[in-house]
Amino acid sequence: MSTHLKDMANQLVHLAKQSGASHADALSLVDAGESIQVRHAKLESVEREDSRGVGLRAFVETPQGLAFASASSSDVSEQGLKSLVKQVISMAKISEPDPDAVPPEGANHPTFEDMQAWACKHPHQAHGWNLEAAKEAALICEQAGLDYSDRISNSEGAHASFGETSIAYAASDGFAADYQRASSSLSLSVIAGEGECMQRDYAYTRSRQACDLRPANEVGVEAAERSLRMLGASGLSSRTSTVIFEPRVATSILGHLASAINGRSVLQKNSFLSDALNESIFPDFVHIHDDPDHPDGMGNRLFDGEGTRCQARTIIESGRLTGFLTDRYAAKRLHTSSTGHARRGLTGDIGIGTSNMMLSAGEMSQEEMLHDMGDGILVTELMGFGVNGVTGDYSRGAAGFLIEGGKLVRPVQGITIASNLKDMFANIAYLGNDVRWFGSVATPSIAIKNMMVAGD
Amino acid sequence: MNSSILSIEPQTLNEILHALIPADADDADLYLQHSVSESLSLEEGRVKHVSASTAQGMGARVIKGELSGHAYTDCLETHALMEAAKAARAISNAASITKPLNITPLTSPHDLYLPNNPMQQVDMLQRKKLLESVDTLARSLDSRVQQVFASVSASFSHIHIVRMDGMHLSDDRPLVRLNVTVVVEENGKRETGGAGGGGRFDLSQLIEKNDAEHLTREAVRLALLNLEAKAAPAGTMPVVLGSGWPGILLHEAVGHGLEGDFNRKGSSVFAEKMGQKVASKGVTVVDDGTMPHRRGSLNFDDEGTPTQRNVLIEDGVLVGYLQDKQNARLMGVAPTGNGRRESYADPVQPRMTNTFMLAGQDNPKDMLASLDEGIYAVNFGGGQVDITSGKFVFTTSEAYYVKGGEIQYPVKNATLMGMGHEALQKISMIGNDLALDPGVGTCGKGGQSVPVGVGMPSIRIDELTVGGTQA
Repeated sequence: MSTHLKDMANQLVHLAKQSGASHADALSLVDAGESIQVRHAKLESVEREDSRGVGLRAFVETPQGLAFASASSSDVSEQGLKSLVKQVISMAKISEPDPDAVPPEGANHPTFEDMQAWACKHPHQAHGWNLEAAKEAALICEQAGLDYSDRISNSEGAHASFGETSIAYAASDGFAADYQRASSSLSLSVIAGEGECMQRDYAYTRSRQACDLRPANEVGVEAAERSLRMLGASGLSSRTSTVIFEPRVATSILGHLASAINGRSVLQKNSFLSDALNESIFPDFVHIHDDPDHPDGMGNRLFDGEGTRCQARTIIESGRLTGFLTDRYAAKRLHTSSTGHARRGLTGDIGIGTSNMMLSAGEMSQEEMLHDMGDGILVTELMGFGVNGVTGDYSRGAAGFLIEGGKLVRPVQGITIASNLKDMFANIAYLGNDVRWFGSVATPSIAIKNMMVAGD
Repeated sequence: MNSSILSIEPQTLNEILHALIPADADDADLYLQHSVSESLSLEEGRVKHVSASTAQGMGARVIKGELSGHAYTDCLETHALMEAAKAARAISNAASITKPLNITPLTSPHDLYLPNNPMQQVDMLQRKKLLESVDTLARSLDSRVQQVFASVSASFSHIHIVRMDGMHLSDDRPLVRLNVTVVVEENGKRETGGAGGGGRFDLSQLIEKNDAEHLTREAVRLALLNLEAKAAPAGTMPVVLGSGWPGILLHEAVGHGLEGDFNRKGSSVFAEKMGQKVASKGVTVVDDGTMPHRRGSLNFDDEGTPTQRNVLIEDGVLVGYLQDKQNARLMGVAPTGNGRRESYADPVQPRMTNTFMLAGQDNPKDMLASLDEGIYAVNFGGGQVDITSGKFVFTTSEAYYVKGGEIQYPVKNATLMGMGHEALQKISMIGNDLALDPGVGTCGKGGQSVPVGVGMPSIRIDELTVGGTQA
């Protein structure tokens, strides 16, 4: 299958050049997967996906520089590919040239040896599941959640899915590569309490191979514990407070950082960190890395969306921002070289994204952090979209626990927490030693001083 | 090989349906879709990004009691289509139906939008010029405008639904959208403002109605306003919401909580509240999928049920849920035309269409004057709800601090938070100025995005938590 995909990507590039493109690159992919949901110990749904697609980006030369356009199609027939090429070339002729446009030519591609070494280190392994095995895991998971306490009153179902994606990339400078990726996941959402006092939460596990998923009953218990502990949550008076983000919600803070150092935003000064290169934006005990080859990460990759070889990188070194994340275009505009962070879908312009982003652990356990800070709030859930990437202003809905005298006193909900991301980064007081992975992000608990908490 | 998903022969469709439908099915259907979309976007004064996509495929579905099977493929070869049908029917052990199906075309129950490709009359060069005019206008309006981002996108989706009774419905759904965002700078301080609009009509109408100019002026106005914005207060206080897009309050605070699936399963805070008072007297909330040219409208939903005007809350009392066919059947009520799916690749869910509150008697000026101290929130970004606890949030994009009944100054974007089953009970004034949003809503549920609309008159809510930074 994947050889066929590589041929298809190469064929698209070839057709594009024949039709007048000066440069082109193409993606082709096939996705196949199944999933199953059980609820109250009964099968609730079975789903199956079978999809394919191709995407082409083509450049045309004009006196003012290169112009480009992109398009995708799920029609991978001979005729479908031809009409896709025709469409992209005609669109590229309408597109405005950009003197800084970087065609898919001469990127720092991985060598043939790199590709072989990668394939040896990361042999493709199947997900190892079928519907029966997935159903079994989902049933165990849900039962563990429902059995955890008689105050677990309802289930939204346990969901198990598995599948495989094959992707090929080809560029007009002759680079072509393909890879396959399996995936499997298991999740549960349960409800504790009744009527107007219900609380709902979830837990999940995700891996390439089903045998590497966390045990089904452990996921079930986690979902139940999380829902149960919020029972009886009430409001809180407004205050300025230290806020601990537990790892699952702390991932969002890393996400805001990644967006703010996106080279394409930075070059337009569209980020509150546009002028922060080499500045100490975090305390000196904060270290953040991006590692495209990590045994625990789901974001491993040999090359990025432009075929540039990915490299491990220290994003924050002892609190200092070492540089921005770039694709080749942002790198050219920022007078640097690509960091291998190009991310692309089948169509649309290239974006920028991290591979496996990791905030290093601190030394304190959560109990020690609580003890040391005395009073504050532990946030376990965040809601809404109140983050402004241009100014860094931050205001989100939250729920979690009130901390008094170093102890979790009671669950709280209906509060908001607000500050500015620049201040939040600088005001990190502690990092926990409780690093957890969530897909391609790993983080410990993060404690941030001086946040405004609004409540009753 | 079939050349298009829409050109599959009736004979083949009949074979697929026979492979799909087990004798004990409560429901089953095929959903065939072909959609094209195009998008142009401008930044740094240039239309540098032109992109397009074409997607076609078939979703097959079988429903039996609470159980559902769903499979899709975008491979048009008959064997792939048959395989999808077999995967969807794997939920049943019963034999397949044997009697021949008479595939019969059914005429559309409504005629809410023109069945024409909305991109045909305005070619890409004209769309490019439109975006360039936005850039020129924005920069001419104020010298503090540093960046202009503008995009125009359009899609045209053809869908065919073949139901298990052989009824065959087809619909051609246009959708267009124009967005403008600007970044302004003064003394090193940068701020942003945005505006958008669209609906199920032709791109030529965007141009005729001069939407681009209006949206550009609005984006620049908002960005400049944000330059002056001070910290928003923190705490619980009365809030007056403006008319139109602030109706996102209804979408989050009650709309999702009234979707049939959550109520059948008892996971919504509104389950068991039918017939009870859930909002102040005078509050009537409607979901209406039949409004011509609106973004959330459909001639029929994605199960072939005609869309309709559904009253959800009448004079403060909960009177209706939003239903697809499966949840309606299980709850013993009629489907309401709210069964929607993002595409052939996604399962059907009960979803909102255009959700709004009917107008009341109050003059918006009196509402503002009634605020001793609070927030007047005119416009919003996105929102989110937890339908089980009822918590909801939405974030202001234009809001003012009010004292003594008078606007004092604009405040920075802040998240407003409340509980769905309480917030609407705290509405104390309802304006006479019902307005619908400009056509920008996208609703997410279970990983699926569908276009929706909202609307509201100005209202006063006596208590909402305002997530500012000013103690």
